[in-house]
Amino acid sequence: MADDGGLWIVVPAYNEGPVVASVVSELTERYPNVVVVDDCSTDATAVAAEAAGATVLRHPINLGQGAALETGIRYALSRGARNVVTFDADGQHRMEDIATLLDARETSGADVVLGSRFQGGTEGIPRGRRILLKSAVALGRMGRRVRLTDVHNGLRLLSRSAAERIHITQNGMAHASEIIRRIGELDLNVAEVPVTIRYTDYSLRKGQKLASALRIVVDLLVGRLQK
Amino acid sequence: MIITIVLTGGLLFFLAYGVLQARRSRFLAAAVGLVSIGGIALVLAPDSATRLAQYVGVGRGADLVLYCWIVVSLIVSLGLYLRIVKLHEAITLLARDAALKAAAARSGRRE
Repeated sequence: MADDGGLWIVVPAYNEGPVVASVVSELTERYPNVVVVDDCSTDATAVAAEAAGATVLRHPINLGQGAALETGIRYALSRGARNVVTFDADGQHRMEDIATLLDARETSGADVVLGSRFQGGTEGIPRGRRILLKSAVALGRMGRRVRLTDVHNGLRLLSRSAAERIHITQNGMAHASEIIRRIGELDLNVAEVPVTIRYTDYSLRKGQKLASALRIVVDLLVGRLQK
Repeated sequence: MIITIVLTGGLLFFLAYGVLQARRSRFLAAAVGLVSIGGIALVLAPDSATRLAQYVGVGRGADLVLYCWIVVSLIVSLGLYLRIVKLHEAITLLARDAALKAAAARSGRRE
């Protein structure tokens, strides 16, 4: 499925100055509509992303990846996006996998297409990280309507309809679980496709720690209390 | 005697604060009133705390007061945390609006 201009790629970024330019350059070679949401970085992330050809939105204060995604999605929808792909700024995702998401959307008609590293592959994933992610999948399966193999993958495609209805309210890393929960609540058609996640020294340094995993659980519980 | 005056004075001040909050939140005013009046009663009749404690199955009046204080503090802390979360949500909406408006303005200048 060729990019017909209805696809927007949303890249949330916080202090990704060293890598964001190369990530954006690679994306814009093939996809014209790339929006980077700079979550109040203290380095040159915004400047580098803009120089590489992205539309850049800047949060005036640091809010978190979930908030940055929601801002980018709202912007993409305001620009007429028919499909929105979320893509990490740290180089973990491969541009080639966007085509896999688009093909799955076209062939299956799913409202949401999620990338799965456990169906696809990982390059250089540390053992501890694999255990943590698999535990998240197992915990998430308890009581969750949507059965998935990878619940914390930032590479995903949302149709316009899905993007309009899934409002991300979790500002932090709990947004990934919130998206899955909303997919279940809205009874959206979801497909999972294999993608490859690249673990580099750079991305591992910036990746989630065990403390972050505990924070995600707390944020989700507080979110429930508010309802 | 001195501590009775100090505590009663403090709780009367707290009661006055509660009355002033009545227009903003009747629930808050009622809760503050209950705690203040209950506290004053316990201060003026300390033996009543012991009798009440034994009635509910706690050994001493002081222990009952402590347990009640812990429960009230946890509820207040949770309430405050939820308010902070709501404030954060409002800040997020404002920051998002600012980012989107700035982008629209930049886009307008380029065109």
